This record gives sequence, structure tokens and C-alpha cells, in this order.
Amino acid sequence: MNALDISAVTYSYGNKAANALNNFSMSVAPGSMHALVGPNGAGKSTLMRVITGQFRSYAGRVTIRGRTMPDRDTLLSIGYAPQPISVYTGLTAMENLLFFGAMAGMPKTRVASRAQEVLEQTGLADHARQLVSTYSGGMQRRLNLAVALLHSPLLLLLDEPTVGIDPQSRYHIYETLTALNAAGMTVLLSTHIMEEAQRLCRAVTLADKGTVIYDGPMSEIDNLESFFLKKTGRGLRDN
Amino acid sequence: MTGQLKELIRKEMLIVLRDRQTIMLLFLMPVALIFFLSLAMEGVWTDKLTGRKIQLVVKNESASFKAKLLEQKIKADPAIQALDRPDQDNDLILADGKTQLVVTIPEGFETGNHPVELYFEPAIDAGYKIAARSLITSLAVEVVMDIDNLEAVMQALIVEKTKPNRELPTPLQQTVPAYAIFAMFFISIPLSIGFLKEKNDGTLQRLFTYPVSTHLITLGKIIPYYIINILQFILMLLVGVFIMQHFISHAFYLGEHPWQMIPVTLAVAAATTGFGVMIAAVGRTQEQASTLAAVSAVLMAVFGGIMVPHAVLPAVLKKAAVISPMYWAHQAYLDIFLRAAPFSGVAPKLIVLTIFAVICFYIAGRRVKWI
Repeated sequence: MNALDISAVTYSYGNKAANALNNFSMSVAPGSMHALVGPNGAGKSTLMRVITGQFRSYAGRVTIRGRTMPDRDTLLSIGYAPQPISVYTGLTAMENLLFFGAMAGMPKTRVASRAQEVLEQTGLADHARQLVSTYSGGMQRRLNLAVALLHSPLLLLLDEPTVGIDPQSRYHIYETLTALNAAGMTVLLSTHIMEEAQRLCRAVTLADKGTVIYDGPMSEIDNLESFFLKKTGRGLRDN
Repeated sequence: MTGQLKELIRKEMLIVLRDRQTIMLLFLMPVALIFFLSLAMEGVWTDKLTGRKIQLVVKNESASFKAKLLEQKIKADPAIQALDRPDQDNDLILADGKTQLVVTIPEGFETGNHPVELYFEPAIDAGYKIAARSLITSLAVEVVMDIDNLEAVMQALIVEKTKPNRELPTPLQQTVPAYAIFAMFFISIPLSIGFLKEKNDGTLQRLFTYPVSTHLITLGKIIPYYIINILQFILMLLVGVFIMQHFISHAFYLGEHPWQMIPVTLAVAAATTGFGVMIAAVGRTQEQASTLAAVSAVLMAVFGGIMVPHAVLPAVLKKAAVISPMYWAHQAYLDIFLRAAPFSGVAPKLIVLTIFAVICFYIAGRRVKWI
């Protein structure tokens, strides 16, 4: 049973003529780290929001470990780190984690100990009681990941987890992801950084304009960036 | 579910109460307005309801017994405050800004050929001018006609009564509820900015990836601001009752049925929170929402008798006031503090406020875009 199956999903924002996702299908094997790459407007973030139940009026089918989404209980098996840093800057890191832990329905005592664990995993333990508004971009990005990891999800969805941060923070995030994946967590990584995707992931789905244009093992691709440009063209994507 | 709601409320309270600008807007601004505007209104209120002493200078040019008696009577009258300005020109005396009138008693005034001269300050209130003229006239008649106490004689002929004041609030009765309500409506600024910020930074979307219902998220937004609104009113009341009495001569009177403040405050807080939720739902950007909230609150205050007491507004504005929910809120409090109204008198205002709240929540529910 796959960790994630997307079957012929079509989604439109309503105010745009073209579909954001068009008959989109892909699968993610359990325990794998799977890259989702594509130029701007490929539908990567939309797909993430469909999987996490934010968008529900789509055609097609999304299943997570055999359970059709949207499903309230299955939501808890997903950890999602959105592209924007989606944490409360007016709270401390610990307060953020306690809050999101409560939203995930975790018992208070469990949240506190898990919060400490994920803060250590993401290198933020020494800054747990500091307001997030005082954090650097890299620290905020790591907290964004920590929130996604808090409730020990089976499937981790990461939307551009290293955008706009310093090399040290990026390296720390890569290390964390590798360790989590080695421990059995399935990871779907949406990224623009081809080198990152090729080094970390065993499989890749290449999307463009809401459609899958390649879905297969990474081992079949010599150079992901060249492959990407060949498939999607070199023209600018400003729309 | 209860745990999730508790955490949603806690999160919102922490964020709001840690924001210095919000604290200034919601708590310090109304305290400052109550303080300064109560002091500013005190003089006007004293003039209007309790009267102020007429400040005058008596120039006695006669050495006669009757002239001295008139001078004594004028200076001893409780409605008069005689000022000492030795041998100055009349215009020079009035130029000090304190003296409203110079009374000159000429030589031989008691013969009827040399009248007492009243030299008024040109900007004197017409009411004071009439009162001063009538008082000096009475005293002059007493002295010239050898009447011991003309007022005692007049009391047999005229009885004066005044209807108990149920219309014009004291400065604190006006400002405490007025600026508490004003600040409570300003809750729409942090509420809408907070909501739109969560939408923009993705935290709101992130919440929807957890098994949390929109109803719970909505309640988690409404309840904290509702509580803050109630805290605002309590703070303003405490300032009015315990602090302002040290700065102003008219203490804050809570009325005969102070318990009515509870339902009134609950209804006002529902209206203000509803307004805030509506602004948050219709605003597209934080700037748009905060401008809309501030402009609406100020206009409602102008029309609603918050900035100028409703009792002294011109007739047209008095009628127009009913369009402002602040008017209904303020009048409900004045029913308690000023008019000793029974609950049946306050209830219609609570119904209006509740309807306003329901309409706001309905519009918000129709217009809100969570994602």
C-alpha cells in the first residue's frame, strides 16, 4: 500500500481559465523520500493543499495509506510545512509547539516532551522561550519544520522547506530530513533546488502547468536540472 | 474540543496582550480620553447645571451709608465673587479675562439721579448678563427702598422648582461609558489585522490541516476579543470610580441599579466584537481593514453622542444619532448612571445592540474567506 496516491486530481481556483491541477496522478512509496519539482505555476503548492484537506472541491481521488481524503483522522498522519513560514511570531517557539500540539489533539504531557524533542532535532532548543519575531529567517524556517514534525506524522509534506535561508540552516534541515527518512518517515519534498532533490530523493515527479510530465525513479536521471529544463523549456514563467 | 478551544483562546490572548500598540489603543487611549475630556467638560457642566459665581469688581465712588451698604450686600451675595482691582480703568479691569462685570456706585445714587453703572465684558454669556443685572437691581432696590431682604419677600410670591436632571450627564457619567464604548469598538482593528495576518502568513491555512472545525476557529477568534472588551469596560469603570474622583469635583455615580451594567456590557461587547469580526471578514488587506475600522468607529462616535453629549446636540443630529450603535450603547449606560431607569427601560437598547451584533456576524459569515 502506497503512503500516498493521487489519482486523476483536477482542481481549479475558479477565477482562472486553466486548471491548477489537471488529471494529476502520482504515487509515493512508503518510507521513501520523493521529490516534487516543477516551475512556478506547476501546481505543487496546490497539490499540497489538496492533500492536506485545505482544498476540498476537487475531482479525482487522494488516498493516504489506503484511506480516502479528506479524512479527519488521517489528517493527523500528515505533517505539513507550508512554503510561507506559518508560525505565530507573537509567541515563543515552545508556545507555538504547545498550541499546534493541542490542535493535533495531543495530550498536554506528550506535547511538552515532543516539543522538546523536535526543538532539539531542529537546533532550536536553546531558543525555545524566545519570541519567534526575534528569530532569524533560518530559525523561523526550522520552527516551521518542527511544527510539522511535532505530532510524529507518517507522511511529511514539505513545500520549499529551504527557501530564503542561510546554508547552515539549509544543511541542518537536509540532515534532519535524511535522519527522519532513515527512521522510516515518508517525505514528499516540493522544491526548486534541483541539486537538493537529486541528492536526497529516490523518486521524482516533474509537473508543469498542473500536469505530470515525468514520474519515476531518480536513478534514471543523470542531471535533474538539465532534465527539468529539457522537459519544461528555458522560457521565463512570469504568469 | 474544549482543550483546542482553550488553546485557541490562549494563543489569541497572548498575541493581543503582548502587542504594545494594541494595549495603547485599547486601554491607554480611553483612559487618557476619560481623564482629559472629563476635566475639559467639567467647566461647561458646572456652568450649565450648577452655575458659576459671577466675578465682578465694585467701584464705590460714594461715601454715603447706602452706597456702603449696597457695596457690602453685593460683595456678600453667595452668587458673586468680588475681585479687588484698586482704581483701575474699566477696560483695563476687564482685560484680565477673569472679571465679567464692573459695578460703579456713583455719588448720590440713592437719589435716583445717578444710576448704578454695570459695565459688562462683551463676551459674557447672555444668561450670566441677565442674572447679574437682575441681582444688582434687586440689591439696589433693597438699599434704596430700605427693604431688609427682598428675596425673602419674593419667596412668598414665587416658588422655584427644577425637574431632577435626567438628561445632562456629569462629565464622568458622559466620558466613562462613552470612551469605554469608543475603545471597545476599536477592538475591530487588532481583530481584523490579526485575522488577515494569519491569512497572509499561512497560519490560518495551517490550522485547517489539523482536525479543527471552522466553528471552533471562529469561536477561538471571537471569545478572546469579547473577554478583552469586557476587561476594557471594567478598567474604564475602575478609573472613573476610583481614580478620577481625585481630579474632578463631581464623583462618578453608578446609579440605583448598577447590576444592569452586566447585561448592558455583555450586549455592547457582542456588538463591538460582531463589528470587529465583520471588518475582518470584509477587509482584504490589513491596511484596508484598519482604516475602515478606525473611520467607522470615529463616525459612529460623532453621531452617537460620544464626543459631544447627545443632550446638547442640535435636533437634527439627535435624530441622526439612532443610526449609530454607539448611541444605543451609551444611552443604555446613561439609563443606569443618570436616569435610574428600570430594566424594562434599558432592554430595548439591548435588543437593538443584539440585532446589530447578529447582523454583523451574519455579514461576516457570508463574506469571510478562510483560505
